[in-house]
Amino acid sequence: MSHTLHRRGQVEDLAGDIVVFSMSAKGINDAGSAASLGRFLQLALRYGPVNIGDMKTGNRQCLPAEQIVGAVQDTSIVHAVFDNPAAVTGLLADLREARLGPSVIVSGLFGETGRCIERAGLRPHTTEYSLGIKGNLSRLEPDGFLRLITMCGHGMVSAALVRRTVLDLKRGRCSSEEAASKLARPCECGVFSPRRAGPLLEELAGSLTVF
Amino acid sequence: MRIDSSRCSGCGTCHGFCTMGAISFEAAARPDRRLASVVDEESCVDCGVCLRAGGCPEDALFEPPAPWPRSIRGTFSNPLAEHKETRVPGRGTEEMKTNDLTGRYRPGFVGVGVEMGRPNTGAYLRDVERVTVGLAGLGVSLEPRNPLTSLIGPGGRVLPEARDQKVLSCIVEFVIQRERLPEALSCLARAAAELDTVFSLDLVELADPAAGDTAAWLRALGELPYPNGKTNVGLGRRPEQASREET
Repeated sequence: MSHTLHRRGQVEDLAGDIVVFSMSAKGINDAGSAASLGRFLQLALRYGPVNIGDMKTGNRQCLPAEQIVGAVQDTSIVHAVFDNPAAVTGLLADLREARLGPSVIVSGLFGETGRCIERAGLRPHTTEYSLGIKGNLSRLEPDGFLRLITMCGHGMVSAALVRRTVLDLKRGRCSSEEAASKLARPCECGVFSPRRAGPLLEELAGSLTVF
Repeated sequence: MRIDSSRCSGCGTCHGFCTMGAISFEAAARPDRRLASVVDEESCVDCGVCLRAGGCPEDALFEPPAPWPRSIRGTFSNPLAEHKETRVPGRGTEEMKTNDLTGRYRPGFVGVGVEMGRPNTGAYLRDVERVTVGLAGLGVSLEPRNPLTSLIGPGGRVLPEARDQKVLSCIVEFVIQRERLPEALSCLARAAAELDTVFSLDLVELADPAAGDTAAWLRALGELPYPNGKTNVGLGRRPEQASREET
């Protein structure tokens, strides 16, 4: 349930972090849906996503976009991540026009995604809320780490990788863009936003003292 | 996951990719006492990230066959593993993602997902039992299409052979009448106080303006919903509906 829910952060850094994704319903419209899901990715690519992916194949940090689009299957879940609401509005309007068949879900700040949905001439059908994290909270990583690792809802981006990447950035071994792309690679679905991760990594590196 | 100590050069590249911090150096792992990496198989959840993304220069990582009940770990922790029953990859179900076609969540009901071990702490299925036993006491029926439900027996008890298996995360999923949500939240709060791990909590509802402001209702119940979340925009079409629209 919900690999794009529970992205942790402040409203300021969550702004402009929007995932649009699509899947067919098993036993209802899955047979032959690969073409529609591939078309979804083609439409998304027109709007300059910062990442795309299909959990069956991988993400754009590891593979060329054409390879991901070409390998889509009926049981795929296809994703595109954007850094601006105008692109999301444009894509939703195209999807409304295209009537592809599979369901479409938008994930992001409710205020921001709500405006995109309305401007595209659509209406929310079902909503999913995050009620946060419960239990033994002392087990959690610091908040700066959580903002990065919760961008992959399947938990594929480890805290250890964040630590290593921040150190590499601090020591000048890579740029923040390279560091962000490295973190995004294990997230097979391609829902991790390297665009949002860059400034978050710089902030972490800035707070670190290396001897 | 295991590491072939005869091939491992001890470079440590794989350590950073481990989602559970289960890989470490061990000198005794090789006959010549040179440093090599080893996997603590008790902590490892068989998510496969180290193998897929780690780029081991010596090709020393390998996944041995995982017989039951060890197989539980990889099935829930590796999102590339597709559950045979649901054909959905990952830990859960289609839930609200296809609700515009399935109608699983109806007016007057809410869906709840208790994502055990998320984010990135992992959970033993014996931890899950603390949640499911409480919910069974409320008479809650778990979602039959969720792969976790097949591991839960009468009274919310986890199958004995599965209790000591650890997963990166798994989801206790159910639908309940809207007016009974406070009961369920109290039950989950009691379980949370006893856990040595964490869970992330989801709530699904039809976007019905007549039902009022859901976020305000949740705040009145003592919850602090995030300002971000997911919206199904109702574009799903059944094949027969799509054909009609085309003509």
